[in-house]
Amino acid sequence: MKYISAAIFLLITIAGFSQSEDLYKSETIPPELKTKANAVVRLNDINVVVTSKDELSIIEKRIVTVLNEKGNSAVGAYASYDKYNKIKKIEARILNEAGEEIKKFKKRDFMDRSAVDGGTLYSDSRVLLMGYTPATYPYTVEFYYEIESSNTAAIPTWRPITGYYVGVEKDIYNLQDNADLGLRFKEKNLQDYNITKSNSSTSLSYTLENALPIAPEDLSPSYYNYYPQVLVAMENFSFYGVEGKAKNWLEFGDWINDALLEGRNEVTDETKQEVLGITANLDDPIEKAKAVFQFVQENTRYISVQVGIGGVQPIPALEVDQLKYGDCKGLTNYTKSLLEVVGVTSYYCVVEAGKEIIDLEDDFASLEQGNHIILAIPTDNETVWLDCTSQLHPFNFIGDFTDNRNVLVVKPNASEIVKTKLYVDSLNYQLTTANVKLEANGSLTSKINRKTRGLQYDNRFYIERRSNDKVNEYYKYHWSYINNLEILGYKFHNNKVDVEFTEDIDVEASTYASVSGDRLLFKPNVFNQNSYVPTRYRSRKMPIDISRGYMDEDVFKIEIPEGFEIEALPENIDIKNKFGEYHFKISTSDNIIIYKRKLFLKKGQYPNTDYKNYRDFRKHISKADNSKIVLKSIK
Amino acid sequence: MIKNIYLLLFILSFTQFSFSQEIEFGEVSKEELSEKFYDKDSSANAVILYKKLRTFYGANASSVELVTEVHERIKIYNKEGFDKATITVNLFKSRSSKERISKIKAYTYNLENNKIVETKLEKNQVFENEYSYNYKQVKFTMPNVKEGSVIDITYKITSPFVLSIDELKLQYDIPIKHIEAEIHTPDGYNFRTKVKGNISFFPQHSRKRSTALDMTMDIQNYTLKDVPALKEEAFVDNINNYRAGVMFELISIVTPSINRYYAQNWGDVAKTIGSDDDYKNELDKTNSFDDELDILISDNQTEIDKMKSIFKYVKDNIQWNGIDGKYFYNGIRKTLKEKKGNVADINLTLVGMLRYAGIDANPLIISTKENSIPFFPTVDRLNYVLAYAVIDEEQYFLDATDEFSDVNVLPLKDYNWQGVLVDNNKMVWKKVAIREPETGITQYMVNASISEDGALEGNVMSRHTNHKAYSFRNNYNSEDLDAYLTEKEEGLENIEISNYKAQNAETYEGFVSESYDFYKEEGADVINDKLYIAPMLFLKSTENPFKLDEREYPIDFGYPLKERYMINIAIPENYTVESAPEPMILKLPEDLGTFQLSNKVLGNKIQLSASVELNKALMGPETYVYLKEFFNQMLNKQKEQVVLTKVK
Repeated sequence: MKYISAAIFLLITIAGFSQSEDLYKSETIPPELKTKANAVVRLNDINVVVTSKDELSIIEKRIVTVLNEKGNSAVGAYASYDKYNKIKKIEARILNEAGEEIKKFKKRDFMDRSAVDGGTLYSDSRVLLMGYTPATYPYTVEFYYEIESSNTAAIPTWRPITGYYVGVEKDIYNLQDNADLGLRFKEKNLQDYNITKSNSSTSLSYTLENALPIAPEDLSPSYYNYYPQVLVAMENFSFYGVEGKAKNWLEFGDWINDALLEGRNEVTDETKQEVLGITANLDDPIEKAKAVFQFVQENTRYISVQVGIGGVQPIPALEVDQLKYGDCKGLTNYTKSLLEVVGVTSYYCVVEAGKEIIDLEDDFASLEQGNHIILAIPTDNETVWLDCTSQLHPFNFIGDFTDNRNVLVVKPNASEIVKTKLYVDSLNYQLTTANVKLEANGSLTSKINRKTRGLQYDNRFYIERRSNDKVNEYYKYHWSYINNLEILGYKFHNNKVDVEFTEDIDVEASTYASVSGDRLLFKPNVFNQNSYVPTRYRSRKMPIDISRGYMDEDVFKIEIPEGFEIEALPENIDIKNKFGEYHFKISTSDNIIIYKRKLFLKKGQYPNTDYKNYRDFRKHISKADNSKIVLKSIK
Repeated sequence: MIKNIYLLLFILSFTQFSFSQEIEFGEVSKEELSEKFYDKDSSANAVILYKKLRTFYGANASSVELVTEVHERIKIYNKEGFDKATITVNLFKSRSSKERISKIKAYTYNLENNKIVETKLEKNQVFENEYSYNYKQVKFTMPNVKEGSVIDITYKITSPFVLSIDELKLQYDIPIKHIEAEIHTPDGYNFRTKVKGNISFFPQHSRKRSTALDMTMDIQNYTLKDVPALKEEAFVDNINNYRAGVMFELISIVTPSINRYYAQNWGDVAKTIGSDDDYKNELDKTNSFDDELDILISDNQTEIDKMKSIFKYVKDNIQWNGIDGKYFYNGIRKTLKEKKGNVADINLTLVGMLRYAGIDANPLIISTKENSIPFFPTVDRLNYVLAYAVIDEEQYFLDATDEFSDVNVLPLKDYNWQGVLVDNNKMVWKKVAIREPETGITQYMVNASISEDGALEGNVMSRHTNHKAYSFRNNYNSEDLDAYLTEKEEGLENIEISNYKAQNAETYEGFVSESYDFYKEEGADVINDKLYIAPMLFLKSTENPFKLDEREYPIDFGYPLKERYMINIAIPENYTVESAPEPMILKLPEDLGTFQLSNKVLGNKIQLSASVELNKALMGPETYVYLKEFFNQMLNKQKEQVVLTKVK
């Protein structure tokens, strides 16, 4: 990814550093850090000291000046804790513009909250949070905490840039490994910043100074691949009382296997008999796996409970068997255990899930990477990937949640980093065909057939499970540019074997064409108008990342009303460039207009200088999709 | 004697038997388990088969408690209904006392090979969590849940807050087949009840002796069958206003030993609040602000000017901490020192200051829209207080918590029914209607020109008053100018904006105006030798907000509004207007709204004039069909195009 090295951030070096007290005064902020900023981190100073395999302390001091209301979220005055991470000290001071103290928070003044959102049933993780309502801006928060932790497997990563519209005056990270546990680290994207460092085999020291605030831009690469960070891990470590040793993924995989998974694969005899029964007549291991996956989908559901080591260790398969629920770890381990029963080998895989594609670092193993677990089944020609938390997705279909990224495949003595399935641009396919009948009053009726595959299947198939009301609502919003759209009927076919979803929809709309005197104007692209134009930036800074491609084809046969003739047709369009292709073609015979369209968008990365070209391409598409046909009354 | 007792026992057990059709816990039938969908609403993913609530007073060794026993049986039809297998109970706590949950018993039932299989919820599957300062949360999810499962749950909640009975909710987001609630209140404890929602039902009353309390109890029984699911719709003030349910408010306790009266009518409510120390004594203590005010106001100012300067002073100097309330959080002295406080701190300080300046000002207590409508005289359900002043018999309503509110231009959440006036000095305690928002007016003045290749350019000037200005200011100030303009460009059919100027947008008084130049490459459709353009340009509305076929709830626009458009379009020299949209006047029934559009051609200029008026903030559900059609026809008219032909 060479383009990243382009000088995106102008960095300013200022000789020397003012005294700490000065940091409390808002007027001492360098002006360039304040422009287009909502807040400025005056100082963030993290100090990590490892004293033994299960003992480390984290001390952080943070001084943030908030310039306006939108900067409040940059304060970051909170600390998480649980049984293995104890907050020894936490305090904060609020200072006014002149640097005078106006309020003080002691430990008991912090709010004590559960650290999880609604998606988790229960977690023992909690957070102490400062609740402060500012009366005037700017103001400064000085925040300090000390944590004693026994989790040497979870050393904080250094991430000096954490938000948009925030300037950073100084950010320091120091780590001292006094127990000689085998310090390992990996630097990422440090080159374009003003960073000084001084490292030894048992210590790290980084300082970043004067990073200008940044603004978010559409179609930017992910944070992870762009901003500076240093990942840190210890070769010898402990996590929630479980010890381990790993200097690479091979050893790390063995630890997962031996310490976390071993002995958790038992299921009840009853279940054993059941899965043996449903696979008895099947020879092909893939067919067996399909039957087992279906069994899991029908018999379990996703519920998340996270307590202590349970954050990384699955609950035993036996427990899933009884409760019929589990989280990603529990359900994956359960499926793996059932596959074992029927003689199919599969592997537990650690992945960073989400629409944004984030790889596990292939040359740096650490527990901090990854937030989800999936299952891999090796076969002769390809790897089959299963997400066991979904009760609905087809076998071997992971969609855009875990596609095309490096994951850790845990194999006894042979764990490795492997890339998951890539959904190729042209196979993320949609074909829409429609017969449309237009009336003299501008209304239309139509029968539509639409097929989706690949990632486009993923965007569509779930409507099958929605109630009639919701399906109606879905189409009305989906085609919201057609006013007064009424859904007369619909039928779905979900082909899970070939992963193809088919919709047959009957619609009418009382006002599609607009009437201008004795003319009718309408857009021949009735059911796939794409008006998306990327946001215009007065100056684009980030490169472009189009992480997934797709292809749409449309064929609309439009019957024009009696008593009308075609007065004007838009000209056919053919565009082909590095971003993709767009074509439409109109042909006529008697009172029928046939409109054929193709939009092909490629996955790709481009430099920021291409942004205008890409935007122009999308503008052309938007304009072409909006072009109109004019009919004139013959009378 | 013995005979008599025998007879009495017999009668008692008989009557119990005949009245209660108690559904026993765990007696789940095969019919329930094999049911595939709910015949009255096949879209339901789950249904409450049976729910029974029993609320009564119980006594423990030291005190009386309010006990609620819950029995709930839920049928889960499909995977989308699985989330109904997770139960969350919020338990209220104050500094000294708290609600408790006990006797949780729950089973999942499945039909396997035509046999009923039960799975028990174990104790270690129930999780407790300190959720917030005021609530503890108890959560559990049922084991072994599949499509078709039935879950049966009972638990008991014990509350030390014996004088407040929670709202009884009789409608949920899934349908209910049978719901039954019993509320036992002791004789002499008089609760007012108010039934709400769109379903009509009445309680049955009976009486019974409580041996535990040695008192006679009044029992209200609510039994409903086939309650439909409560469905969300757009433009609803607060869906809870329409949920079937019953609210309770204690109005008096009259027993041989106690004689206490609470709110009987709105006057009582006002008096009860007025007798609180915050209202009785604190409002006239002026020593924490008198020096500042003496500088701020002078004798030669009119009362209205004094009111305005004090309002401004409070807005500029005290920040709202985001907390509602009708009672002080900090108190006036601390609020002024820390320069922030809750709603009561801010608006009661304002009342105090206005009084100090000699203005007839008093607190007006309300319930905001988020807090739902107070259906009957209630103290507890009021959550907010405004400052109310009368000068020369004119009413002024003030809320100083919001950056962009003005006198009589309140945040929209404040316009919820009526307020309760507490005027301790004049001994007036009564209900006062909040002055309806005045019409928010926006005027657009556009000068545009089209070139032969369809490009459109020109200038927009607009002016916004009242709540239109209020909402403009809120939008404008919610993000930085670049982001605001980007969003504006996207909202206006991707025009490109330059030379943007907004005037008076960062204050709260008077109107806001803005002006900008625009450019749009594809302003008009160029087809052969003709140009097609909708003369309302990018200011037309494109989407009907009303999509559903019918509507159950009133439609809340927030305030009456009026938009006027004056648009001049210069057409290319060598083109003439071939056709233009016919003029239109469209009216809603009972003068609720008007749309009008007309145009004139003068030389090479098209002059369009249009206006939209919606004359009431809240329109009843019976208006819905008209409103939907009104928007429909208006949108179509706005879409109609002018056809320009090249002169050969």
